[in-house]
Amino acid sequence: MSRIGKALYQWLDERLHLDDLVTFMDKKSVPVHRGSIWYYFGGVTLFLFIIQVFTGILLLLYYKGSDQLAFESIQFLMSKVSFGWLIRSVHSWSANLFVLSAVIHMFSVFFERAYRFPRELTWLTGMLMFFIALGFGFSGYLLPWNELAFFATKVGTEIVGVVPVVGKPLMVLLRGGEEVSGATLSRFFGFHVAVLPGLFVVLLSVHLIMVQRQGMSEPLEEGHQQGARRNTIPFFPNFLLRDMLLWLIVLNLLAILAVFFPWELGKKADAFAPAPAGIKPEWYFLFMFETLKRFPAKVLVVEGEVLGVLLFGVAGLLWTLVPLWDRKRDQGRRNRVLMYVGIAVVVYILVFTIIGWLA
Amino acid sequence: MNGIRRWIALGALVSCLIVTRAASADECLTCHAALGDKPSTLFKADIHHVKGITCAGCHGGDATSSDMEPAMDRKAGFIGKPNGDSISVLCARCHSDAQQMKRLHSSIPTGQLELLQQSVHGNLATSGKSRIAQCTTCHGSHGIVAVKDPRSPVHPRNVVATCTRCHSNATYIRSYNPSLPVDQREKYLTSVHGTRNAVGDLKVAECASCHGSHNILPPKDVKSSIYPTNLPKTCAKCHSDADYMKEYGIPTNQFEQYAKSVHGIALLEHNDLGAPACNSCHGNHGAMPPGVESISKVCGTCHALNSELFSSSPHKKAFDDLNVPECESCHGKHEILVATSALLGTSPEAVCARCHVAGTKSFDEAGMMRRLVDTLETSESEARMLVEEAEQKGMEIGEAKFRLRDIRQARLEARTMVHAFNEERLRTIIGKGLTVAAWASEEGRQAIDDYYFRRVGLGVSTLIITILVIALYLFIRRIERQQRQRGTVTSHSSHGSTS
Repeated sequence: MSRIGKALYQWLDERLHLDDLVTFMDKKSVPVHRGSIWYYFGGVTLFLFIIQVFTGILLLLYYKGSDQLAFESIQFLMSKVSFGWLIRSVHSWSANLFVLSAVIHMFSVFFERAYRFPRELTWLTGMLMFFIALGFGFSGYLLPWNELAFFATKVGTEIVGVVPVVGKPLMVLLRGGEEVSGATLSRFFGFHVAVLPGLFVVLLSVHLIMVQRQGMSEPLEEGHQQGARRNTIPFFPNFLLRDMLLWLIVLNLLAILAVFFPWELGKKADAFAPAPAGIKPEWYFLFMFETLKRFPAKVLVVEGEVLGVLLFGVAGLLWTLVPLWDRKRDQGRRNRVLMYVGIAVVVYILVFTIIGWLA
Repeated sequence: MNGIRRWIALGALVSCLIVTRAASADECLTCHAALGDKPSTLFKADIHHVKGITCAGCHGGDATSSDMEPAMDRKAGFIGKPNGDSISVLCARCHSDAQQMKRLHSSIPTGQLELLQQSVHGNLATSGKSRIAQCTTCHGSHGIVAVKDPRSPVHPRNVVATCTRCHSNATYIRSYNPSLPVDQREKYLTSVHGTRNAVGDLKVAECASCHGSHNILPPKDVKSSIYPTNLPKTCAKCHSDADYMKEYGIPTNQFEQYAKSVHGIALLEHNDLGAPACNSCHGNHGAMPPGVESISKVCGTCHALNSELFSSSPHKKAFDDLNVPECESCHGKHEILVATSALLGTSPEAVCARCHVAGTKSFDEAGMMRRLVDTLETSESEARMLVEEAEQKGMEIGEAKFRLRDIRQARLEARTMVHAFNEERLRTIIGKGLTVAAWASEEGRQAIDDYYFRRVGLGVSTLIITILVIALYLFIRRIERQQRQRGTVTSHSSHGSTS
């Protein structure tokens, strides 16, 4: 380190006690085992979130959140603003990759049982962030105010409306009225750029602090080889550099997607126009959409759609609270039933997503 | 007083029965004829009487009995005067029975009642008790004769009067359809069909020729013979039949030509009900070919602006002086094709060159107008091609695509303005279109350039990132190699503190 660098570090250390942090970083290590690859998806998700924030702020410079101007402002951005097309395409693609990466991260944590003691709260904050990420996707989809987004939002909020007791008020709250309108767009814009990012950043901070405090989880069989020699690598610089390597590859992928498959704008939304054929939600909602479509109109005395939404709600809650009811976790034993349930969930989501995609 | 009259009638009836008893099997007619009432008088000429059907055929009872009591005994099936829907049902007892009709040596169809019930006249009458029309409404009751008989109310000579008994009655028609005109008869009498019908030409169209007889449907019913898409074929039934039309000396290829025309294709192939059918130009009840002087007015009912511009142009007077039809001279009549700019100008296929001679000022003007229109068309297709290419490349070019409509609009306006035959006015509209076309072309070109720029940019950035990835990978390998040499990495004892 140069003389000026050393002086600067000393100046900062006197005030911030950086030595403690450097010592912590120096000693921090990451386990190396057959499942280490899954560790990187947390970092990739974080990287994509940072891209989202960065491109989102740039989009905000031109976006106008009203039903009269939203579509035109995006059109202007894409055709007139230098690199506006790139920013929007990167934002849209990274949003999708962000959700995909979060899904992979979540399932890898689930199958590695990384949610077990003492990481229950890390799992919980992760799940909450995942739900917020879906909220980002749902609210962001409407913002260009195009035909497909308009009707998909209409269908999506209608599904919210079927939840007993709280559904209708929740639907009105989301829509800002009985129908999807300019008020809905204003609300979704507010959720997308203020409410959700605020909550997300708080949860992300807690999540990252906990990851740092608790270190990386190891698979059950690795973690219980007491006294055995275990392979690890230093977090800094080894793991961080590998992380960055992957980030660069993801950045390259994003650039290729944005240029070769620019995100289309479609036609401006018209509330009085008939719904176009083939309305679909974003791919990460497709499995639920397809399932609800296949539900019978009535199951005993309950409306099929209501039952479907309730079942998804219960399933989501059980999934979120898995650290609390996976009883074998504390004994450090594998819960085979849970593993099969997890595999069934993955297969179900994949199959129904593909069916929905092809439909 | 009533008692005396009854005795006199009875006396007359008895004496009449005595006289004619042996001669007639229809005792009802024998007595009623003796009374001299109208039904029996009419019935003597009725086709049913001729075919041997007695009064009891419709009224029931015993026609062989000369005694009034058993003859008109309700227990013996006497029904008296049928009314309401029972009239048609009564007629259908024979007329819907093929065997019975065969026995009576009749070849008329047997499905009339069904057709009548499905027709507009089969709807419930305003009284709410029966259908609007019964068989007797048009055919009469006791004096029914064959349709071909000139005395029949449905004979071609009489059918107009029969239909208009109701259809010219404004009070009556108002109770069913207040917007339905009641002047059909007046119009018909002015038509070619009507005037010829009045002098005894039985081949010309009357009401039933176009509307049908028992199966008359409302004009808005797609199955109706006068529904816009069916109407040309209805007219063509006669007008395309060369043998049938032989004596009239008019062409019979109108339908063939019309079907190929822009109007015919729009109506018959695209089901565009806004497109004109035969009646749109010729009239319906008052059908008549439009004369030379009125042809532009007829076309102008739809093509209003073209007609107006033409009327204010120098051509109007010239056409009037030459006594040539206005629109038809350039566009034709039944076989009007899509008007392209080929009609304009001085080329051999252009219609201007039919009258204007080379070397004259008007000939040059025609050529100039064609060049102006061509320039706009070329600019439009160039702009469209560039915008479409940019769109196919995935570029956002929505505004330019939207403005293509303005160029098209300018082209359509220019085509209309051609009818003013004024170069300056045409030049103004063409200029408007050319400005937008130039802008849209530039937008398209820029978007296409941008597309290639993006790919080059992607190539450069991908290359830089790939170099960075390789450099980072090599760097990681190097530091890990150094760490291994120093023994500071990869493997050390741990007791699961992080698990």
